Amino acid sequence: MVLHHHIYLHTGGRTQTNLQHPIMTWISKSVTGLGLVLLAHACYSANEHSALNALSTASLSSTTSHSISMPSVASLPLDISIETVVAIFTVCLGLVLGTPELRPIEWRVWAGKIEREGEKGFMNGSGEVDVGYIGNPFKMLESRPGFVDIRKQRKDFAEWVREGGSVEVGSKK
Amino acid sequence: MSSSLLHPPAHLSPSVALQLSQQAPAILQATPSSISSYSLSYLWSASETPELWTTYENLMLSCLRTGDEESAHLCLERLTARFGTDNEKLMALRGLFQEAVAQDDAALKKVLDEYEAILKRDPSNMPVSKRRVALLKTMNKIPDAITALNSFLDDSPTDAEAWTELADLYVSQGMYSQGIFALEEVLLVTPNAWNIHAKLGEVNYMAFKATSDQGSDKLLAESLRRFCRSIELCDDYLRGYYGLKLASNELLLALPQASRQKPDGSLPLPSQKTVGLLNQKATSKLSEIVRLNAAGDRGYQGYEKAEIIAAKELLNRESSKVVR
Repeated sequence: MVLHHHIYLHTGGRTQTNLQHPIMTWISKSVTGLGLVLLAHACYSANEHSALNALSTASLSSTTSHSISMPSVASLPLDISIETVVAIFTVCLGLVLGTPELRPIEWRVWAGKIEREGEKGFMNGSGEVDVGYIGNPFKMLESRPGFVDIRKQRKDFAEWVREGGSVEVGSKK
Repeated sequence: MSSSLLHPPAHLSPSVALQLSQQAPAILQATPSSISSYSLSYLWSASETPELWTTYENLMLSCLRTGDEESAHLCLERLTARFGTDNEKLMALRGLFQEAVAQDDAALKKVLDEYEAILKRDPSNMPVSKRRVALLKTMNKIPDAITALNSFLDDSPTDAEAWTELADLYVSQGMYSQGIFALEEVLLVTPNAWNIHAKLGEVNYMAFKATSDQGSDKLLAESLRRFCRSIELCDDYLRGYYGLKLASNELLLALPQASRQKPDGSLPLPSQKTVGLLNQKATSKLSEIVRLNAAGDRGYQGYEKAEIIAAKELLNRESSKVVR
């Protein structure tokens, strides 16, 4: 069963980068960087090639008095084309390696993650719980905000205070 | 701002509720007391967001719970200033506030009369109808609450929240078959709610424990199936495995004496072998969850502490029985 839930639509991309293995991000960054360097080199070579080509054509046409039809731009050498393609694939590989861990799309896996990990499983990069995180969406069928028994809650809370309850230090963060 | 302020706080633990309500003065100070689109300050102050009003509502509930009535009243006033006194949801919230601060039963009775007056004027006011049921429950008039909720559900039969409330009321009165019916209605609206499947399993199990006649094996088998479904919908669901363990334990005892024939067209009882395998599976899963949780595995810290303790106890009881 595939889960269609809105939380995936607007919180998909920018989460959980910090949970990734540091070596993985390092590899992904260096591969992307290498690809960008290759791409820049290919661009520069192509530009140089066309400039050189234009120059030689111009000097040729000035020295020869009669105009022979010359191809104005010779096709790019094969090594530059190969370098461009390789660079693009390298950049793609680097970016794919750097994607955050994908969210489960199977219902039972997603539900199990909520039960097993609770809020902690849905932290985003800055260590805060995702805005779209609502936990078990069916929990409200058991807490039932529309029918809340506020007097009982107050009584329970007073009881809890009397027993010496206070804010847990661990839950502060 | 913590995200839990954007969701109804009823299920939160007391310590989280206290923490939220302690933030109340700061939040109330930081947010503007009224938002008007005509004043100059509108140009540079933060514009109004839907989250702001949700925050006020949930903050009010948390403050009422912890007894910070001043902040709760301030939230209520700001909501009223924005939405007016005749907003249906606000009528219910105001009633909730009065319920919370009521000193004695006479004051509660007055709130109830007020609800009834509102409903006489406008019978379609859903939030107030729900509050009326909740107040009847608070005043311990469960049969009245059940009657009121039934007429509410006649008008709005797809309200899963109301059906679950009805199921709880029935179960609290020991009327298990009605409770099971109400929970099945919930599952028609939300068929993927794994906690409701587990709850249905629990109610079936309670019904089995309460009755002792011939047909009770069927309840037990139904309970087993419901727990299995909840696990199918949610991996590593502690509540589901706990129930599966209990139900299969009982079923293993009951099956040898059970009559094989099935008079009506219901599902046959599961075989001894299947139940045995399910029991083993539940035991191994429960012990795995308890072990990983105790070992501090990062992926297993989301369970409730009380549930883990209960599971541990169940496993210990089992193993001591084996040793004996």
